[in-house]
Amino acid sequence: MSIAIGAVKLAIDDLGARLGAELGADLADLRVQEPDTLVARVDRRRLRAVAAQLKGLAEIAYDSCNFVAAVDHVTHLETVYHLYSYATNSYIELHVEIDRDNPVCDTICDLYPAADWHEREAWDMMGVRFDGHPDLRRILLKDDWIGHPLRKDYVDLLENHPNV
Amino acid sequence: MSDVFTSEAPDSAVRLAMERVKAAQSVSDLEGLELGTVIVNMGPQHPSTHGVLRLVVTLDGEVIRDVIPVIGYLHRCKEKLAEKRTYFQYIPIVDRTEYVAGMNCEWGYVRTVEKLAGIQPTRRAEFIRVIVAELMRIASHLVAIGTFVADLAPLGTAMAFYTFRDRERVLDLLEQVSGGRMMFNYFRFGGVRYDLPDGWVEKCREFLDYFPPQIVEYENLVNDNAIFLQRTIGKGVLTQQDVVDYAITGPNARASGVAHDLRRTRPYSVYPELDFEVCLGKHGDVYDRYQVRIDEMRESLRIIRQALAMLPQGPVQVGTLRPPYVITPPPGACYTAQENPRGEYGTYIVSDGSRYPYRLKFRDPCFVNLQVFPKLLKGVKIADAIAISGSMDLVLGGIDR
Repeated sequence: MSIAIGAVKLAIDDLGARLGAELGADLADLRVQEPDTLVARVDRRRLRAVAAQLKGLAEIAYDSCNFVAAVDHVTHLETVYHLYSYATNSYIELHVEIDRDNPVCDTICDLYPAADWHEREAWDMMGVRFDGHPDLRRILLKDDWIGHPLRKDYVDLLENHPNV
Repeated sequence: MSDVFTSEAPDSAVRLAMERVKAAQSVSDLEGLELGTVIVNMGPQHPSTHGVLRLVVTLDGEVIRDVIPVIGYLHRCKEKLAEKRTYFQYIPIVDRTEYVAGMNCEWGYVRTVEKLAGIQPTRRAEFIRVIVAELMRIASHLVAIGTFVADLAPLGTAMAFYTFRDRERVLDLLEQVSGGRMMFNYFRFGGVRYDLPDGWVEKCREFLDYFPPQIVEYENLVNDNAIFLQRTIGKGVLTQQDVVDYAITGPNARASGVAHDLRRTRPYSVYPELDFEVCLGKHGDVYDRYQVRIDEMRESLRIIRQALAMLPQGPVQVGTLRPPYVITPPPGACYTAQENPRGEYGTYIVSDGSRYPYRLKFRDPCFVNLQVFPKLLKGVKIADAIAISGSMDLVLGGIDR
């Protein structure tokens, strides 16, 4: 395997058009954010299908997961997936809305091994449960930590960390 | 598991390691695991992990069967702190994430905020940024090479002395610019804090003349050393598929022959105007990761030399920003990435239009690179694990944030 970065020369608008044709309504509000970045919203239930399809695209596959971030919008949570395509040297940012009372999202760490720890971090800090994740433990905080500190309504109490 | 001893109640990582051993024993997919399997905590206070990295290692004699990295010992809530500080107040805190490359981290954060707020830094400031960032890259690679070789063999201790001696010179230059040696607090939105002091450019050129023979000296010290070669060539091979799967970036990716360098693939600042090579390795082994860092220091010298020659006159900050530097970017989200000494250092900021970042997330290169360890270390001897982890150049401050 040899990787040639940017081997497929494709204007970002054409790339967006091709993705729109291939994935259709799964990529809602698909738009160009930067000269090398597309942004789209994805339904929570379709995330895995979309990720698998993006990874399996011929020639222009988004083969690497750059990072996963979780954001607390108070009304809802959001996970942001940043995927990178070596062939076209471009990124796509997927925004997935997650119910705050039942924060469950499908994992993509079997498709993209790099997403593993980012998902664990999102669970640790924001309390997003990733369905199907093989090892969803806390990553930065201790095992017995109570609560998810990056939530906007998190209150740090002494009894939250009994062994300190 | 009567033969597993732990001094304290096992935490979740050790329990996981024990479960995996049990599962492997019942289906016996790992040959010989029943005999003499030991679970060892390597770290968090292990001298060869360069920080508080802990690896829960399942050993079969000398051979590693399983690795579970445990991180978080240096967690300082950087992302939470951002939400309680103005954009400006947060700059000194960014230094402390990946503290071996403070300048580059500051740049990443400042660039993201500039992009969010639509601030264009002055041209002189852009060149100063490139110069200090490349000096920082040299200092960072010197730490990486020095400590890595020191781990390998007794001869390496000498290497650490040489590299740290020269790193002092770089830090002196950065100190004269910013006032700090590790924690700089030098970048500002739209520029940098101070202009270069009188005579600094000459001192920097002196360093550029002084340093190349020192690189040759490092190479003479270890490159032909039989012990060094035995311990590095062919060890810990990172394939290009691994690089893609685990989103490895920086010198570690380039050592495997993947020409991913954000200064080229996603150009920023004035890098498009500067001439430099992207240094590549062939095999992706420990030796290549060492050699790529040596080569990159030479390229950094080239970049600095060009930037000094092209350095324009003018202000180093945009005039519109005055203390107390309160800026309120419009609502929106922004991700910028840049090439740190260890790889892609990304900053993702969500703004709600107030004076404080609504959410800030760092994509730290070491955090991502560390994920490949279980795959990389499986089946190697524990002594090689030290060489491999040294060659990956981890900084725990960045990983734990």
